[in-house]
Amino acid sequence: MQFVSPFVKISRQVGTSCAISVSLCLLTLLLGLSLSVSAQQTFPVNGVADQKHIYYAFTHANIYVDSKTTIDSATLLIQDDKIIGAGVDFFIPPEAVVYDLHGKYIYPSFIDMFTDYGIPEMKREKNDGYPQMLSNKKGAYDWNLAIHPETNASEIFTADNKKAEELRKLGFGSVMSLVRDGIARGASVFVSLGEGKENDLIIRKDVAANYSFDKGSSSQNYPESLMGAIALLRQTYLDADWYKSLGQDKEFNLSLDAFNKLQELPQIFEVGEKWSVLRADKIAKEFQKNYIIKGKGDEYQRAKEIAETHSSLIIPIAFPEAYDVDDPLDAMNIDLNDLKHWELAPKNPALLSAAGITFALTTADLKSKDEFRKNILKAIQFGLTPQQALQSLTEIPAEILHLKDKVGRLKNGMLANFIITSKPVFDKESSILENWVQGKRFAINNIERKDLRGNYKLKISGMDTVKLKIAGELYAPSLSLDQDTLKSAVDFKRTGDQFSMKFELKKSNQKGFYRLNGYIDPQNKQILNGIGQTPEGDEITWSASWYENFKQEIKKDTLKDKIKEELNTGDILYPNMGFGWKEIPKTTNILIHNATVWTNEKEGILQNADVLLSDGKIVAVGKNVDTSSKRIFNVQVIDGTGKHLTAGIIDEHSHIAIYGDVNEGTQSVTSEVRIGDVVYPEDINIYRQLAGGVTSSHLLHGSANAIGGQTQLVKLRWGRTAEEMKFAGWDPFIKFALGENVKQSNWGDKQVVRFPQTRMGVEQVYVDAFTRARDYDKKWKDYEHVKGLLKGTAVPPRKDLELDALLDILNSKMFITCHSYQQGEINMLMHVADTFGFHVNTFTHILEGYKVADKMKRHGAGGSSFSDWWAYKYEVVEAIPYNGAIMNKMGITVAYNSDDAEMGRRLNQEAAKAVKYGGISEEEAMKFVTLNPAKLLHVDKQTGSILVGKDADVVLWNDNPLSIYARVEKTFIDGICYYDLNRDKIMQNEIRKERARLIQKMIAAKAKGEPTQKAPRSRYKVYDCEGIHEYEKN
Amino acid sequence: MISNSIAARNIFVLIYFFVSIYVCEGQNPPPASPQTKPVLLMNGIAHLGDGTVIQNSAIAFEDGKITIIADATTVRLDMKLFDVINISGKHVYPGFIAANTIIGLSEFELVRSTNDFDEVGSLNPNIRSIIAYNTDSKVTPTVRSNGVLLAQITPTGGLISGTSSVVELDAWNWEDAAFRTDDGIHLNWPSMMIDRVQKEKEKDEAKDRIEKSLLNLHDLFADAKAYSTLANPSEHNLKFESMRGLFNGSEKLYIHCEYTKEIISAVGFCKEFGVKMVLVGGADSWRITDLLRDNHIPVILGRTHSLPQREDEDADLPYKLPYLLKKAGVEFCLSVPGFWQVRNLPFNAGTAVGYGLTKEEALTAVSLSVAKILGVDAKVGSLEQGKEATLFVSSGDALDMRTNDVELAFIQGKKINLDNIQKQLYKKYMEKYGLK
Repeated sequence: MQFVSPFVKISRQVGTSCAISVSLCLLTLLLGLSLSVSAQQTFPVNGVADQKHIYYAFTHANIYVDSKTTIDSATLLIQDDKIIGAGVDFFIPPEAVVYDLHGKYIYPSFIDMFTDYGIPEMKREKNDGYPQMLSNKKGAYDWNLAIHPETNASEIFTADNKKAEELRKLGFGSVMSLVRDGIARGASVFVSLGEGKENDLIIRKDVAANYSFDKGSSSQNYPESLMGAIALLRQTYLDADWYKSLGQDKEFNLSLDAFNKLQELPQIFEVGEKWSVLRADKIAKEFQKNYIIKGKGDEYQRAKEIAETHSSLIIPIAFPEAYDVDDPLDAMNIDLNDLKHWELAPKNPALLSAAGITFALTTADLKSKDEFRKNILKAIQFGLTPQQALQSLTEIPAEILHLKDKVGRLKNGMLANFIITSKPVFDKESSILENWVQGKRFAINNIERKDLRGNYKLKISGMDTVKLKIAGELYAPSLSLDQDTLKSAVDFKRTGDQFSMKFELKKSNQKGFYRLNGYIDPQNKQILNGIGQTPEGDEITWSASWYENFKQEIKKDTLKDKIKEELNTGDILYPNMGFGWKEIPKTTNILIHNATVWTNEKEGILQNADVLLSDGKIVAVGKNVDTSSKRIFNVQVIDGTGKHLTAGIIDEHSHIAIYGDVNEGTQSVTSEVRIGDVVYPEDINIYRQLAGGVTSSHLLHGSANAIGGQTQLVKLRWGRTAEEMKFAGWDPFIKFALGENVKQSNWGDKQVVRFPQTRMGVEQVYVDAFTRARDYDKKWKDYEHVKGLLKGTAVPPRKDLELDALLDILNSKMFITCHSYQQGEINMLMHVADTFGFHVNTFTHILEGYKVADKMKRHGAGGSSFSDWWAYKYEVVEAIPYNGAIMNKMGITVAYNSDDAEMGRRLNQEAAKAVKYGGISEEEAMKFVTLNPAKLLHVDKQTGSILVGKDADVVLWNDNPLSIYARVEKTFIDGICYYDLNRDKIMQNEIRKERARLIQKMIAAKAKGEPTQKAPRSRYKVYDCEGIHEYEKN
Repeated sequence: MISNSIAARNIFVLIYFFVSIYVCEGQNPPPASPQTKPVLLMNGIAHLGDGTVIQNSAIAFEDGKITIIADATTVRLDMKLFDVINISGKHVYPGFIAANTIIGLSEFELVRSTNDFDEVGSLNPNIRSIIAYNTDSKVTPTVRSNGVLLAQITPTGGLISGTSSVVELDAWNWEDAAFRTDDGIHLNWPSMMIDRVQKEKEKDEAKDRIEKSLLNLHDLFADAKAYSTLANPSEHNLKFESMRGLFNGSEKLYIHCEYTKEIISAVGFCKEFGVKMVLVGGADSWRITDLLRDNHIPVILGRTHSLPQREDEDADLPYKLPYLLKKAGVEFCLSVPGFWQVRNLPFNAGTAVGYGLTKEEALTAVSLSVAKILGVDAKVGSLEQGKEATLFVSSGDALDMRTNDVELAFIQGKKINLDNIQKQLYKKYMEKYGLK
């Protein structure tokens, strides 16, 4: 019956209307029928039925049907919760309630597609401090608590009128609510911000599937690192696939079931910083997904790369507050990157728009929802077009969520969600008057409100006339009294046509506040009348009569200048921090002339030699190199007289440039995690390593477990992206570890759960892992074998990222660098390797390598050691600084590494210790940090020595590089000068200037009344190998 | 001549044999015996520690004291009176002094039972490091063999960590080792920096905490100072008793902190209570050199081999920090906190040379300046007539690891055995593999 009545009504009206409207209404009718699923119809009524099917017509309004289409002086017609239509010359049913909105504006209500509206906060269960290896959730769910795709927001959603009102006031009519917790977060729900029962408010359930890298409230240990979260998600995709094909025969799993069901929905991925946009996109590409990525507001810093992903974004309109920089010593602790981000963040939407990125805007991450409007206006000031703003708040979210036929525009059949504003919505003076949600009015500001602004003569009984000024904004007027030249402010509160005023009079014999109540004279709207009390309690009457218009007092020019100044921002740097580039340097042709050249080749150390770099390669080495004969022109000549040129330093063991922890130490085998997923190009220690002559660093997983993560070799191409920093064409490596860390000896009394706790157990971890890998291999081979025979009915084994990596080791496609100290365990691993037919490429640390150098030599393992570390734990009791020398003399390829951002930048000094401890020749010692690590990393064909054809990774020193007194003057990678001592000085000065400029700007912002935050400690942190919980766990 | 040198070699082999029998594998060498005969080091390049270099020197010592420091080309000596050691072309230095270490208080950082540097509780002025100083630590000989011959043994942790002492790094027991007991009390100035928390409320709380801890510290010192005026208190307070030295000037207050605000507060605090302050750490000290210089606050800098404290700071700031203090006229020395790491003290000094200090200034920063700051310069820290013969000979420049090779070392004239467990293991395995 409910469907029939509007039908009858409308058809009756059609009969009396003009032809255009007939067709329009007919169309509406048909659409309306199919869409109108107005709710709560199953509920019994207590009392008499109270159905309303009133038409509302909003006439003479400027209507934004969508962000691109405006109709001036048009009519919007709605009935129930739906729009009938909008247009000029529009039929208005005679029984409609008509609102004349002359001069006002109508827009589709905003949509926030990323909220937790109506969703309770998920709290982390308290953990007893002992490791939790598995999920404790009851039921047939995923093994990991962070994977809960079965979560359905529509089941949890509870309307919250207070919060809804908060959002309605800002112009929002509908939102997507999600459970913002965990890695696979389940389905979100799309709801209206109206009042009433959830049955009425839920517009669509399962509107999107949601993900993040943050394990949220999960009390389980795995994953504890970003790379672990990435691996877990990748494995979940594979498991879900496997489950789809046959899984239920092997295991019943509600989570994977739900995961598969969600795949058809829009996939929304929340990340914590700009680089994670690229990280998420990599996963999307791997599994042929299309993520809509919720960013953090710093995407402008890498807009180009983000645009190349072709992902749509959801961007918070939250901007950082200025820092309180009044105290220079506090200000000193704020990094330039934070200062710069403060200035540039409001530009984010404009810059993303300019980069061609599609994005929705969200109120998520706002400290207070009140900031929304202020920030939108700010973003517009910084170049975001109002049209784009509107689109990002209406059509784009609707489109992304496949709801474009329901919300986001004012078209027939769509939800009657719209706002009425006094001026164009993004005008500074505009106010939202009403927000209609599902055809229900929510008054924000009284639409009928009379504009009281103007100058009045105020006459209080028994007193002289004073001037009353009502200025400011219509809905937030500011009042003042002029008593001759004396001004006093007036406290003003208004409800409808009644109001109150409170003020002091400077020229009065009564001290204290006058309190007046007033109303607009019903006869003459230009007169205000009322009664009140003097400070001493005398009853008074008063009257104020209008005599002139209110004038906005703006000194236009200064304001413009101020805005201009504010909009005048500094450059985005690459990376956007101290020592970042305005422009990333390019390769040039360089001749280093007349230097002492440490070739690391059979030529040895050449005196007065030239080295020519071109197109990223070393093209000539020798005396008096003739560049023109090589047909290389535009050569920049660097005088190398008195200087030394060496191959770039390669750090075989480094933990710089890693984001979100270096250890996934929660399980004993985590070969599925990859440092390559979390390379962090903004670690200042990249630049500092360059200043120490390092050109390549091997970024390792920590040593918290027996089989840690896959490593990543990078060239320190400062300013470039993670992908651009990766060393092209290298052989993949993986980190293994032995000894005390692996058995958690020094991690406290509660870390006694994870297997293994002894060196005996460590061996079994390896034996087990490689046994499983072999069996896995066989399963796949068997499958491949029968696949053809069974014509597609064969069931593939479960793909396991952990075992894939181990299999790569067995197949010599991935190589090991193993953290190791004591001889027994070194011996053990070589035995395990021999048994399973693989090879330990490198023992890293290897402080007792000298005790088993003969065995290592036989096995063919290399040693990458500390020069002189010992005594920091029991297993290094017999570590000696002569270790490198002995291994070298035994014919082992020996490198010295840092495991430490500090030592990494003076590895030349560490190499020199091989001269001191064990008498290695200087030429050979230098190889410990250049050619030998290149060999250990299988990149000695590309780098590690000064040889024609190799990459132009070279360092110019002012002295013998092994001398404590030597300094790096220039560091080249691929022939590009990434560090230059002189330029460093210039950069230091630029940093000081840029900091000073921003600090002045912040002071100005504070003076303007902008909120500020106290200066915190710098974001800067340094990882080391064993920093799993705290630095102390060294 | 030929037969002589063969004889000399034979003697050397004999001595070597003797030594290797005498020193058991895996043991520290025995402490040296007192000097019995005057020793004369001839023709070495003497770096006196006060900036002076004598290219061809004659240095004599007797009964543990330096008796002659002279230019060998001008001085006339009766060689028969001495055990003459020709160190021609080699370098001789005053023994380096390591401030702020936990040598002998820890054997393995991560083995709790070997750690004796951090007492429970936050106010421990009465805790004395000398008591726990382990002369038999296997680490000490490895530090000594790079030229570090004295060290300040310093408790760590808490607000007031305890009382340090200066020791010689060759001794039978801690009484033997003690060079200057209870030289000062160590205080870790409360951090005045707000952690990187998100909420303003948390920042406010942090600010309150900072103010409260400073107030508590102030109260403690006010109480201790009042107590120190009582010659015979009716009720004794061990903590206050141990702090008397601060107020009568016999002990220094070593304040450990890095940042400007902390340093400024600490200086004001010490002035208020009239105690002699030494700043330890002081990464930011270059920013307030006027304050430090004008108030005569010496600085024990932490490792030169460290990273800048803040992202935007000059990459080479820790390297040039010593120079910045030198240039500004602030009294300072260098240190390497820790124990096994202390053997790199000379190279931490060397690095500063690449960034502005002269070699001799760098040397002073690990010898005479340390002695002055620790209050032991009357006896050690430089090669000077009347001072103790605590010195060493290196075949090359001792500040450069490429050339640092300590061949001879003396503490109070006693000839130190420079063997250590690491050298023994080296020999052992070189022999195993038949390597040379």
